[in-house]
Amino acid sequence: MSAPITLTSSDGVEITVERAVAERSILIKNMLEDLGDSGEAIPIPNARLPRVLTTWQVNEAVLKKVIEWCEHHKNDPPTAGDDDDNRRKTTDIDEWDQKFMQVDQEMLFEIILAANYLDIKALLDVGCKTVANMIKGKSPEEIRKTFNIQNDFTPEEEDQIRRENEWAEE
Amino acid sequence: MLRSLNHLPDEILHSILCYSHPRSCAALEQTSHRFENVTNEPLLWRHYCQLHYKSWDRRHGIIRKLASPVPTVDWKALFVLRYRIDDSATQLLDSILASQTGRIEKFRAVIDYGYDAKDTLLRHGQVETGEDHLARRYYARALLTCLHRSIAVPEWAKLRRGEPVSLERALGAFDLFIPESGYGDLDEIREMLATVVGQFTSFYPDLDSLSPREKALELARWLQLNDFTGIEAGREYHSLEHNFLGLALQSPGHSSLPLISAAIYCYAAQELGLNAHPCGFPFHVHVIITPRPGFDMSGNILADAEQGSPMYLDPFRGARETPVSDLRDQLAFLGVSDQAEFLGDAQASDIVLRCSKNILNSIHSASTRPGEASTSVDMVSAKYAALWSSMLLSGDSRPMDLRHQLPWLMELFATDFPSDIFLVEQYIVPLFHGLFEHEHILESLHVMRAVDEIPKQVRRRTEENKNIRYKVGQVFRHRRYHYRAIITGWDSECGAGEQWMRRMGIDRLQAGRHQSFYHVLVEDRSVRYVAEENIDLILTHLTELPQSLTAIAGKHFKRWDEVTRAFISNVKDEYPDD
Repeated sequence: MSAPITLTSSDGVEITVERAVAERSILIKNMLEDLGDSGEAIPIPNARLPRVLTTWQVNEAVLKKVIEWCEHHKNDPPTAGDDDDNRRKTTDIDEWDQKFMQVDQEMLFEIILAANYLDIKALLDVGCKTVANMIKGKSPEEIRKTFNIQNDFTPEEEDQIRRENEWAEE
Repeated sequence: MLRSLNHLPDEILHSILCYSHPRSCAALEQTSHRFENVTNEPLLWRHYCQLHYKSWDRRHGIIRKLASPVPTVDWKALFVLRYRIDDSATQLLDSILASQTGRIEKFRAVIDYGYDAKDTLLRHGQVETGEDHLARRYYARALLTCLHRSIAVPEWAKLRRGEPVSLERALGAFDLFIPESGYGDLDEIREMLATVVGQFTSFYPDLDSLSPREKALELARWLQLNDFTGIEAGREYHSLEHNFLGLALQSPGHSSLPLISAAIYCYAAQELGLNAHPCGFPFHVHVIITPRPGFDMSGNILADAEQGSPMYLDPFRGARETPVSDLRDQLAFLGVSDQAEFLGDAQASDIVLRCSKNILNSIHSASTRPGEASTSVDMVSAKYAALWSSMLLSGDSRPMDLRHQLPWLMELFATDFPSDIFLVEQYIVPLFHGLFEHEHILESLHVMRAVDEIPKQVRRRTEENKNIRYKVGQVFRHRRYHYRAIITGWDSECGAGEQWMRRMGIDRLQAGRHQSFYHVLVEDRSVRYVAEENIDLILTHLTELPQSLTAIAGKHFKRWDEVTRAFISNVKDEYPDD
């Protein structure tokens, strides 16, 4: 057994986990391989997302949540590479993951962003599927309400885009 | 600041949309400018096209489009087109299920979508539940096989016109007639053959050092060793499934008749650069391999670019060269004076005709072995394929063959494959130009269309036919012949013609002709007309009925009802009270 790993959240809280758990994150796995086993705590650095110009961090609450997921899935077989099409064939979410994702929207999006940043593909997938399920069957107006989206179309634009999408109305 | 959907970067939104239904994507598009941009990503719509639709009609050139740079194709428009076709084909199917009237034109409209309708039909052909799932499955599958036949028949028509068709396509067309083969396209069969060749060449990397003769024999040996030719020990030679190229390639033991074994061999040999063809030798199809001009089969150079003599092989039996003298002796024994025709290359059309005859032989031979486990291939479909190919490829010089087969084909078509009316009109009718049957076929087709267009006469349970004991959908066992069948219609007394009644001895029945009579669907797929006194109702379970019967029950019934132990009628427009 290799030594446990200590992670530091952006707000400075240290959390120690088994190496197998931490290595669900490809980012951490690669960092560990680069660093060798120095026994030092790994800080989760700040990151700047492409295009969306907000800095964001993995704070203690989110990191704990992510670790909880990694603990549960530490023995999962590694995902079959980057075969996107295969992964995308199913939108089913297993029961434990569904429960895990029963959080408020704020936390849901934090988890998705953290999974993206830490490069935990399977968790990112679960997050994306959860959001897809939230959109499912909703009208544009219902989607705006659910996600607090500002309608920035002019009435003419809105009318035009509605007509273009008439095929999708049941 | 609270995190929201709007804060996710484009690539994550893209992933979310990949998991969403395109309808959700269309809804999200209408919420704001940001989402309008994200949802119109061509890559996303390309993904939807691939995920939702596996079969594409040829006209789209989908393989070329998939290989083109993503932005050069309007993937969204393509998806919307397919979505609309899917929707329209579903509505047509619903409408076919809802009424027995006007089905022919609806069949046509679905078939006109070509392979674009295939995904829709596959989906409906697999439904397990729903208030009309038996009917839905039946008609979706009927249309699907019709679609496959509309791919197969033109191949034989091409051969008829003397246009070149490769042997594997000409023989693969038979597979498209039988749903069990699972093939939806002739290219799939060619890909299977290409895989076999690939296995062989990777097993023999230094093939090119061999002489043509050695190459030919090595191939025959390898194919036999790997069971790609011949029939597995213990299997019935005449088994129907041994007649189908695609089935043989797919089945674990690859058992096939000599004709199919030869076809597999010839495909592989040609890929290896050998000039191999089936040979027209009677009874047992051999393979003839002709050396390149100026060389013999051992690879030696011949003087004056002379044509070397060919070699003969029987891949069905393995890797032994058949001396031409053996073949000549056999022909002489048969009294054949002009041997050239039987020792040369056979035309693809001749091989198709022989395959057709073999299929009819297999069906005949199965009927003489009643005890044996039934074949995995639907005999009706196989016979239908044999008749189609034989009629299309029998030469014009043999109108008797055509005439002989016409009633068989017309009967099968009318009872089992009525959606093929367009194929019959397009391909069978012209065969009879100038023959007296021509008018007769046109008349039959005209009647079929007329009957299809007129709403069914409504049969109510009124006072004068209160003698009718049984209902549409009930299952019974015939008292004398013991077969199981489902009632699909009734008459208050025998409604058949005088001649039929006399031939069937109706007046010798206890209650004679003045008892109720029933149209029934029998477990052997036949349709019969049965007197009330011969009906012995059985209260069975759906699972106890043979699969052959439940599969065709959908022609008249919506589903099985476990409470009444009867099928629920889908012919309410004709029998509203049953």
